[in-house]
Amino acid sequence: MEGFLQALAAGLLIGAVYGLMCVGLGLIFGVMRVINFAHGDFMMLGMYTAFYLFTAAGVQAVFGNTVGPFVAILLAGPVLAVFGYFVHRTLISHVSGTRTASLEGEGHYAQLILTLGIALILQNGGLIVFGSVLASIRTPLSSSAWELGPFFDMSIFLNKARSIDMLVSLAMMILLSLLITRTRIGKSLRAAADNPTAATYMGIDVDRAHRTAFALGCGITAIAGGLLATNYPFHPFVGLEYVIVMYAGVVLGGMGSIIGAFWGGMTIGLVQQMSTLILPTQLQNAAIFAVFLLIIFFRPQGFFGRMVERT
Amino acid sequence: MLRIEGLSAGYSAKPVLNDVSIDVGAGQFVAIVGPNGAGKTTLFKTISGIVKPSGGKITFDGVDLLAVPPPQRAHLGIAHVPEGRQVFPSLTVMENLEMGAMTESGRRDWRTNIERIFEWLPVLKERRDQFAGTMSGGQQQMLAIGRGLASSPKLLMLDEPSMGLAPSTADFIFERLIEIRRQSGLTMLLVEQRVAEALESADHGYVLEAGHVVLEGNNDTLRADDRVRKAYLGM
Repeated sequence: MEGFLQALAAGLLIGAVYGLMCVGLGLIFGVMRVINFAHGDFMMLGMYTAFYLFTAAGVQAVFGNTVGPFVAILLAGPVLAVFGYFVHRTLISHVSGTRTASLEGEGHYAQLILTLGIALILQNGGLIVFGSVLASIRTPLSSSAWELGPFFDMSIFLNKARSIDMLVSLAMMILLSLLITRTRIGKSLRAAADNPTAATYMGIDVDRAHRTAFALGCGITAIAGGLLATNYPFHPFVGLEYVIVMYAGVVLGGMGSIIGAFWGGMTIGLVQQMSTLILPTQLQNAAIFAVFLLIIFFRPQGFFGRMVERT
Repeated sequence: MLRIEGLSAGYSAKPVLNDVSIDVGAGQFVAIVGPNGAGKTTLFKTISGIVKPSGGKITFDGVDLLAVPPPQRAHLGIAHVPEGRQVFPSLTVMENLEMGAMTESGRRDWRTNIERIFEWLPVLKERRDQFAGTMSGGQQQMLAIGRGLASSPKLLMLDEPSMGLAPSTADFIFERLIEIRRQSGLTMLLVEQRVAEALESADHGYVLEAGHVVLEGNNDTLRADDRVRKAYLGM
């Protein structure tokens, strides 16, 4: 019982961060319908950006070892958003949005090849620039825990860094939901996703909406990556490990649903942590995909799959 | 207000519009009628910039429209109520109307516009928080019209507002459009297959067949024309 609660707590903590990570990808897919294979590598860049902001750019000196990492992580978001903005402007926009009409398969082939190419360049470029040594953003909080309880002789230990990661993820999620549902920009993003042609009739610049979504998606995933880096060491190829989880989360949540992607990521975190109760750790990912297939078997549209299809 | 001169357009190599010239004066209600596949929708898409023309000129309020990027055209005062309604299904009725009001004038006049739209199309007020995708075809059509009006347009372009609707619903929507026009004096360009109704209420009409304007005139001229009577009015 104690082990179960402990795994549940760990699953919720990591699940919130996975959720945020999936939301970044889900936003891009939902608004642009672009399959971005490089998204894991954008996250890797986010991790290194947070790492260097913390160690080399003076954030550690100003904010110290406890608050500093989180400041650096939050700053990595805007940095990667700007990076994503330019990647979209210079590369992705040529094979997506209003230019797809003239391309074969609505530009999807070109998108796959382009994002795979970007992924390869980022991974190998990362290897040249950052080296292959494992890096991590350690804080004193990473190795200490809060004790919850004891209730009925049981206590649950919550890792401090992971707990703060979760809180930051939830805060980001709330901010993003408000942005998407309440603001003019958010509404126009959803309109552009629903029906790009009609959005153009309304005077919405669909290519600019895509650029905004891509930048936001990159920034959000970068922050999630930085949060993960407080507990998990990373390297230039780390994106590959996470991009699969991201896609599984987006599909679980329902393609196109931004909130769904969060719950998809949360589910994956929970399954991953709970599976350690009965399976050896090496089989964590196998457990994720067994559950994934099971859910998709019974609910192919995902948790929040659209009931109303696009017209 | 809107002047189309010698417009030709098409998809890849296949021409759909051939040397089409149409004039819409300020305050006019102009109808374009014709059979399926005559190029009516393509004409609207060319005005809105979704289809690129292969020749010809379009001027709107003295501006060379073809030099204006498609998303900017709405900001000049052109509202396009597209064929098949094309509301935003996962947005609520209210959010759909807000999307209509993305233009500067739409934002400025939001309060008065929304009041008038709700007065003209009360069903939108009742269903303001419903997702547009869950509404009936007729309600979606009214939302599409309301969304067009929310931009405070100078020109309202309506592409087959009766398409796919029950005759009584289509009649109701027509009646609403005539009322809206009577009260607002808005310039309207209507594409319709319900030729009799369209010609009856319009100031001026064009008959478009296979990408050509084959006939134009005010409604008396058109309704007196033998071909129109036989082909469209069933007389």
